[in-house]
Amino acid sequence: MAAFAAYTVIGLGLGGIFSLAALGIVLIYRTTGVLNFAHGAMGMFSTFVAWQVFYGWSHPFWPAWLATLLAVIAGLVFAAVMGLVLELAVFRWVRTREPVVKAVITIGALLALQSAASLIWKNNQYHLPIYLAPQTATIQIADVPVGANYIVIIVAALGLAFGLGAFLKYTSFGRSMRAVSDSPTAASLWGVPVNKVSAVSWMLGSLVAALAGILITPFINFDTTSLTLLIIDALAAALIGGLVSLPLTVLGGFVLGLLETYPTMWIQSLGFPRLIALLVILAVLIVRNPRGFAVAAK
Amino acid sequence: MTSRLAFRILATLVAFAVLARIPAGFDVGFKFDSALAVIWAFGLLSLVLLTGYVGQISLCQATFAGVGAYTAGMMVASLHIDYMLAVGAGVAAAFMLGVLVGLPALRLRGITLAIVTLGIALVFDRYVFQDHAFEWFTGGTGGWRVNGATIFGLQVDSSKHLMGAYLVLLALFCLVALLLVNLHDSGAGRRLRAIRDSELAAATMGVNLTRYKLLAFGMSAAIAGLGGAFYPLVAGSVSPQPFWLFTSLQFTAIAVLMGVRYVPAAALGGVFMAVIPDVLTRFGHGTFMGHAYEISYDWFQLALGALLIAQLILLPDGVWGDIRRRVHHARASMSAVGGRRVKVA
Repeated sequence: MAAFAAYTVIGLGLGGIFSLAALGIVLIYRTTGVLNFAHGAMGMFSTFVAWQVFYGWSHPFWPAWLATLLAVIAGLVFAAVMGLVLELAVFRWVRTREPVVKAVITIGALLALQSAASLIWKNNQYHLPIYLAPQTATIQIADVPVGANYIVIIVAALGLAFGLGAFLKYTSFGRSMRAVSDSPTAASLWGVPVNKVSAVSWMLGSLVAALAGILITPFINFDTTSLTLLIIDALAAALIGGLVSLPLTVLGGFVLGLLETYPTMWIQSLGFPRLIALLVILAVLIVRNPRGFAVAAK
Repeated sequence: MTSRLAFRILATLVAFAVLARIPAGFDVGFKFDSALAVIWAFGLLSLVLLTGYVGQISLCQATFAGVGAYTAGMMVASLHIDYMLAVGAGVAAAFMLGVLVGLPALRLRGITLAIVTLGIALVFDRYVFQDHAFEWFTGGTGGWRVNGATIFGLQVDSSKHLMGAYLVLLALFCLVALLLVNLHDSGAGRRLRAIRDSELAAATMGVNLTRYKLLAFGMSAAIAGLGGAFYPLVAGSVSPQPFWLFTSLQFTAIAVLMGVRYVPAAALGGVFMAVIPDVLTRFGHGTFMGHAYEISYDWFQLALGALLIAQLILLPDGVWGDIRRRVHHARASMSAVGGRRVKVA
């Protein structure tokens, strides 16, 4: 029973990361119609910027919390700028193209970002993780020790989901974003600044990707490919939410995290969780009407 | 035999004769690159059929090539059969996997199909090609070693007889390319292209969507697998690295970059994919004005990503499509100066 509880905690932590990564994908897809295959790569690049500040440029006499804070801020600022640059330089010019063409463009971005990161930070080398909470801190919840870093991730995922949901629902800019996601043409006729909305979507999506990347570093072998490949789990979670719904996406992320973690009690395999992600994707696409996604892709 | 078909056969024979000579003068490294270029060109050709003709996106073509490679490697290393039989087994295995992947494609298209094929590529990359549970298929961490293979009794192996393997590969590539060019205008080709333009319209006109989509996926996988099946012969062994997810993504990127609707673009892309990285690692280092520099393989992928983005914004029909358009335009304007009327296709 104790082992089961421990696996549940690990699964929920993993699920929180999937949720965070998927939230950014859903946000960008809803407002701009771009299914961003480069989402993992964007998060990876920003995470390496944070890593560079944390391990490369921070002064040894700084207290740990200051180095962490500066690293996270640097990573997030870089992510926002990268999202803005991608929107201005690339996706603004292909807005009317088919969704598949836009998806292939993001594959180009994935390849470029991935190789740029391995040129700068080297592919083969093991990189130390960034801890937001102290590594050894644990909290007892009903006799089960829970690592503080897990709690940070779960709280961040839930908080961001509700925060983004409230932002979209109750603020006037959020209403503009929802209007653009329903119909860019109609929204622009009503005076909604479509360019501004899609720029902000890319910045926000990139920010969330960076946050997911920074939070995940203690739990994976932190190199350039593993964060890029996080995309498939994030896409599975996003598909559970129908590429539209934020709460369902977060729920999907947690479910996927648990589904990928429990089998590791019996099956010692690094690759097996990928099979589960694929099966979840197939199951979702069979149960839900796939034509529904195409309609949302206007 | 129409004159058009005769011209195509002649052009293919000339291309074979020219291409067959090129690597002979170079060292063994470039001979390996030439054989690898044909193998990658098969992968790109499979996308010309699947994406260019039928309009289906796939991000797992390197997986099909990998299945072909592992099947051929397993057959030769464990049964010591003639290499062409092993290639046949590899092509058959890839065809079957292609039909299986085509099953979800019956209901999906566009981005959802891209997600599913990406998932399949990742499962094979991280799980099937690397896990202990599949050692009977992948030959463990060392992979299958192929020494002393024969094609119809002729000695072909990676070290001494690389040219033999290259010629067989090139001949097969020319044959498959010719078949694909002819498929374009045939009845089956028109049905496949009708699926690309509108599935609904194609079904209304009586095209059996299930049959033609599954066939397209199976044939496309078989073409990729045919190239991949020669990989153990050329490289001497099989490993997961050449067929991992990023090769699949590069296939899609290069096929789109070169022009996914055109068969010759696949050959161009194969050369690009095999030769440029090797040239970079060989000659891409030294000193320039007192500064040491090194241009590694990563620069190739970085440039590929950037070129793909630029191409999709500026030249949607790819490099070959753009060249073709310019040539047609130039010919038309030249004929117009001569006062003759020409029909421009």
